[in-house]
Amino acid sequence: MEEPKRIQVIRIGAEAIVSKLRWNGFDLISKHRVPKPYRIPELDRWIRDKRTIHEAKILVELKRAGVPAPAIILLDRSSSTIYMQYIKGIELKKALDELDPVRIEKIAGKLGEIVGKMHLRGIVHGDLTTSNVILDETEKIYLIDFGLSSVSDDVEELAVDIHLLDRSLESAHHKIRERFMKHFLLGYSKIVGRDRTLEILRKVKEIRMRGRYVKRGG
Amino acid sequence: MAEEKIVLGIESTAHTLGFGIVSTTGKILANVNYVYKPKEGGIHPREAAQHHSMHAARGVMEALRRAGISPERIDGVAFSAGPGMGPCLRVGATLARALALKLNKPLLAVNHGVAHIEIGRLVTGARDPVVLYIAGGNTLITAYLDGRYRIFGETLDIAAGNCLDAFGIEAGIGPMPNPEVKAREGRKIHPLPYRVKGMDVSFSGLLTAALKLLKKGIRIEDVCLSITETVYSMLTETLERALAFTEKKEILLVGGLARSIRLRQMIEAMAKLHDAKVYVVPPEYAGDNGAMIAWTGALQLLSGLVIRVEESVVKPKFRIDEVEVKWRNLNGSK
Ligand SMILES: Nc1ncnc2c1ncn2[C@@H]1O[C@H](COP(=O)(O)OP(=O)(O)OP(=O)(O)O)[C@@H](O)[C@H]1O
Ligand SMILES: Nc1ncnc2c1ncn2[C@@H]1O[C@H](COP(=O)(O)OP(=O)(O)OP(=O)(O)O)[C@@H](O)[C@H]1O
Ligand SMILES: [Mg+2]
Repeated sequence: MEEPKRIQVIRIGAEAIVSKLRWNGFDLISKHRVPKPYRIPELDRWIRDKRTIHEAKILVELKRAGVPAPAIILLDRSSSTIYMQYIKGIELKKALDELDPVRIEKIAGKLGEIVGKMHLRGIVHGDLTTSNVILDETEKIYLIDFGLSSVSDDVEELAVDIHLLDRSLESAHHKIRERFMKHFLLGYSKIVGRDRTLEILRKVKEIRMRGRYVKRGG
Repeated sequence: MAEEKIVLGIESTAHTLGFGIVSTTGKILANVNYVYKPKEGGIHPREAAQHHSMHAARGVMEALRRAGISPERIDGVAFSAGPGMGPCLRVGATLARALALKLNKPLLAVNHGVAHIEIGRLVTGARDPVVLYIAGGNTLITAYLDGRYRIFGETLDIAAGNCLDAFGIEAGIGPMPNPEVKAREGRKIHPLPYRVKGMDVSFSGLLTAALKLLKKGIRIEDVCLSITETVYSMLTETLERALAFTEKKEILLVGGLARSIRLRQMIEAMAKLHDAKVYVVPPEYAGDNGAMIAWTGALQLLSGLVIRVEESVVKPKFRIDEVEVKWRNLNGSK
């Protein structure tokens, strides 16, 4: 077997360097969590290791659950690097600036179903924003970036996912936020059920209010 | 250029009753603040409100005296409408209404969070920063986008300042900066829950876990090191995400916790990786103060964001992104 060859650095993200590689005729992605000079080394090591292992485990679990996400190829714990399938496409964040309303509704609904499926399996994404969703050429949706995910079916945790998505739309795509969330939730409730969706939505509301002002000593 | 106007601003969201007098060109003529200190534990809204009522009249006079102006020179009266504690907010609002009626001048309802940002931009010269607003009652990451300060991240439970203060008080060493000072003698880091969700953070689990370490007999210096390093790493990391996401090149730190030396150090190191510049509000304007309300009031006066006395209700949960930041597109960025 040949050594993977780096073709290009795709992104120097906030926590990782993501590169595209060529390996035995396949396109791969490597995600290398780089040390952060601002953190105390022990703490830094611990955080990167934890997230890398976690992301790898979750990618495996997602495959089993039938949630579209990159397939994991290899985990190199010593360098905090994950090698995974390359998804050819664009980030939802970019797509939202270009797509027409009807397509957006369709994608929102599909995303709702996918997130619903993931939540039913007790997986919480932890960073569900429009930059962590990729659309491929056929507009099939993939979820990526599971370093902050957790395994839980606690309403609070699930609600945080919905809250994060909603807020990422609010802060960067506020014009289509309402329409997007409406269709997202329709898709979501198709999978997890109406009552559960309402329960989660109540929690989302509570979280939003909570963050604003929490008084001391209380 | 329009003629210079003068605004009196009143702050009373929590422990501070503040009076500021600032001109529409950004001259700070007075900044007088009275801080209520609870005898023990956290702040009691009613007691704080009593403290504020007691100092109200004296504060206005003192601010005018320092500014060297007579009340007639005031062109607008601003007050902190929220977020904050109801009883405290009402003291400032009542006083502002009375003054506005008496002087027959416009009333300006200011968002306390927006005011922290605007005074920060004024005194540091930051133009279009990602803002980390860290205080006793608030933890949020925000930046200007499309006419508003949009919230990119915030706490999912308690504020960072609240967490560290509560820890210090429970541990018997007192609130910030004491935990940070003690941490300097720390040698060993103990893992604590590091809960980051996107650009949001959560501190309540970490506070509980740190107190548990103490009960287990771990050196207090080490627990202080662990809790401060963990809290600051979480804040720096989420700020880094927001910086990458918004692609801005400036960071502005505002709120009481911006006084932290170690946190600043970490954020400076992070900013270097992104060629971003860090601005820190000087101590005098870092905590709650009257000048920030007066200055934001002045900006609102310039852009016609005045309010009728009958409509001037306080909003304990006033969100920063409810405010239309009209003044940012007036002339460039100021
Ligand atoms: N498997 C993949 N296939 C194609 N592109 C990918 C893949 N994984 C990551 N990317 C691209 O790299 C970017 C960053 O990846 P990822 O979100 O996993 O890293 P990150 O360090 O968390 O980045 P950020 O902090 O910016 O979110 C993604 O937004 C996407 O554009
Ligand atoms: N020297 C210091 N170093 C670090 N933090 C400090 C220092 N002094 C005070 N603080 C923190 O600042 C907080 C006070 O912030 P501030 O004066 O902005 O008031 P606040 O009313 O709590 O804030 P807000 O209402 O805006 O949330 C304290 O709770 C404490 O945690
Ligand atoms: Mg990402």
